[in-house]
Amino acid sequence: MKKNLKIALITIALIVLAGAAAGFYMYNLKPKDLGKVKPDFVVTASELQSSFEENETAAAVKYVNKIVEVSGEVGSVQPGENNSVNISLKTNSSFSSVICTLPSGAVSGNIKEGSQISIRGECSGYLMDVLLNNCVVAGGPDKP
Amino acid sequence: MKRLIILSLLTMLVLSASGQKYMTKTGFISFFSHTPMEDIKGDNNQVASVIDISTGEMVFQVLIKSFHFEKTLLEEHFNENYMESDKFPKASFKGKITNLSVIDLKKNGSYEVQVEGDLTIRDVVKKISVKGILEVVTGGINANAKFVIAPEDFNIEIPSVVRENIAKTVEVTVAMKYSPV
Repeated sequence: MKKNLKIALITIALIVLAGAAAGFYMYNLKPKDLGKVKPDFVVTASELQSSFEENETAAAVKYVNKIVEVSGEVGSVQPGENNSVNISLKTNSSFSSVICTLPSGAVSGNIKEGSQISIRGECSGYLMDVLLNNCVVAGGPDKP
Repeated sequence: MKRLIILSLLTMLVLSASGQKYMTKTGFISFFSHTPMEDIKGDNNQVASVIDISTGEMVFQVLIKSFHFEKTLLEEHFNENYMESDKFPKASFKGKITNLSVIDLKKNGSYEVQVEGDLTIRDVVKKISVKGILEVVTGGINANAKFVIAPEDFNIEIPSVVRENIAKTVEVTVAMKYSPV
């Protein structure tokens, strides 16, 4: 009887501990490194921008919160706050681009206006431009 | 409908012939909530904003989903439980610099400005009045401001389990670098 009680107590303690560990792990989970994630869509910057311009609602349903790999010509590379970098990709529209924010400043100096690159990021939606976040460079001057 | 109004306002500001307009699509807005239990910070590097320096009008627009957090779980809760970003994907501010005369565009320097206008979050419109610093630099204008808003004012319900973790008021930091249009 006593032995059973002991086993039950140990089991409960283990379950509680596992739960706490899982909770702690979930709570501290950092954003995924998209360099290792397969994209849900592979598109050109022009394709992505025009699908939002033509029908924002439908494009949002398709792309928002998805991992999108976008290829195109770099329009600008600008430093943002907190070591982030904003890279804009040109599209067929003269007014609207695809803006990709890379979380930490490790962007190769070889990426500049005119470079052909592809960037993988999480699509946040459309303001005046299509916005991608948590981006990584998937292909470009250094990654053929 | 509201989106249409904001979009047309942005377009009007950009296209209208008179005046001097400055724009950015990669401005920075972050918010910070401090409690003894937890500090929470969300950063957004994709703020679109236009300022017409001849009239003092300013428009800001952000996607809620462009706010990023150190921890994925916080970002999920922010989007799903508090901001309901699928339902209310955008937030905006439309306002005016009320003491425009203090700014001398011909001279580089910092000017303290007063901005008043409507802040729209979750389709709730609230009048706010904010002090900021407008800096005239070679080739552009920088704008910086810090102010405080209350989640409660925008119908954001915070469940009692996490009430100790989220501040009654959050500090908003705005840092913009505008280029001429």
